[in-house]
Amino acid sequence: MWAALRSRSSSLHPWKQGIAVPPGLNPTAFSSSSFTTAATTNKAFLSLQEIKKVLNDVRADDVKVLSVPNMHADWADYVVLATGRSTWHVKNIAQALIYKAKQKQKGVDRKVLPSVEGQEEGKWIVIDSGKIIVHALDEKAREYYNLEGLWTTETSQKEPNPELEKAFVKIRPKNNSKKPVQKVA
Amino acid sequence: MRTVLKVVDNSGAKKVMCIQALKGKKCAKLGDTIVASVKEAHPNGKVKKGKVVYGVVVHAAMRCGRCNGSEVKFDDNVVVLVDKQGQPIGTRVFGLVPHELRKKKHVKILTLAEHIA
Repeated sequence: MWAALRSRSSSLHPWKQGIAVPPGLNPTAFSSSSFTTAATTNKAFLSLQEIKKVLNDVRADDVKVLSVPNMHADWADYVVLATGRSTWHVKNIAQALIYKAKQKQKGVDRKVLPSVEGQEEGKWIVIDSGKIIVHALDEKAREYYNLEGLWTTETSQKEPNPELEKAFVKIRPKNNSKKPVQKVA
Repeated sequence: MRTVLKVVDNSGAKKVMCIQALKGKKCAKLGDTIVASVKEAHPNGKVKKGKVVYGVVVHAAMRCGRCNGSEVKFDDNVVVLVDKQGQPIGTRVFGLVPHELRKKKHVKILTLAEHIA
């Protein structure tokens, strides 16, 4: 049991250390050797240039790359947004990225694939490969969720929370009781 | 069952009562999906009172263990409304969101959230 605990603590926040772990897989299932190979060779995870190339080939519209500092700093470095013209196109974008990841890992015993969400309905597909997260949306979904608005306005302003400031101010409690106030000797 | 949860996105609902926990016989924990019925709603929102919706639990008063040995526990039970395919109904999620959701494949809610623990 102690051995199991030790291995769990060694995988402390793997996404913070820059060793990206695809979230679909259980990190404790990996042995330590496969962890280091994944980190050193970094075969599994697509770099920004490769993703841009794949999106160009698939002809995705309006590709935007946002580096996400401040807010979501711990869990990702880059967020890529892409639009598809139809649900089939959006699904195709996802398939192409996974295919690229598979190709990159030819010859490795254990393939590590990025996790995909929303595959059945082609409205918004998220491909999470650790450091880089790709969002493939269709036009309606992009308008509806307005992700650029969310991130660009968020990183610019970080206004002080007024409630938080009030919470730390000491307020003298009001004495509404009929008893006379006991004077402290 | 019958747990009243707060709703923390801008889908229009305010309070929601759990009808069924989709995974697990006993309870739904952090990151699980539940079926719920809307008990209180904002007057002009996307969901109305009495509607049956799906939701993802983002705060749970029951503690959740992390892989580094620490445990996370919130003071309230909070849910984010989602449709059957897992797409969030609202466009923004307010408050804190734990990153257990990433492992459970709810990255969409994490992207819409304003703060991640």
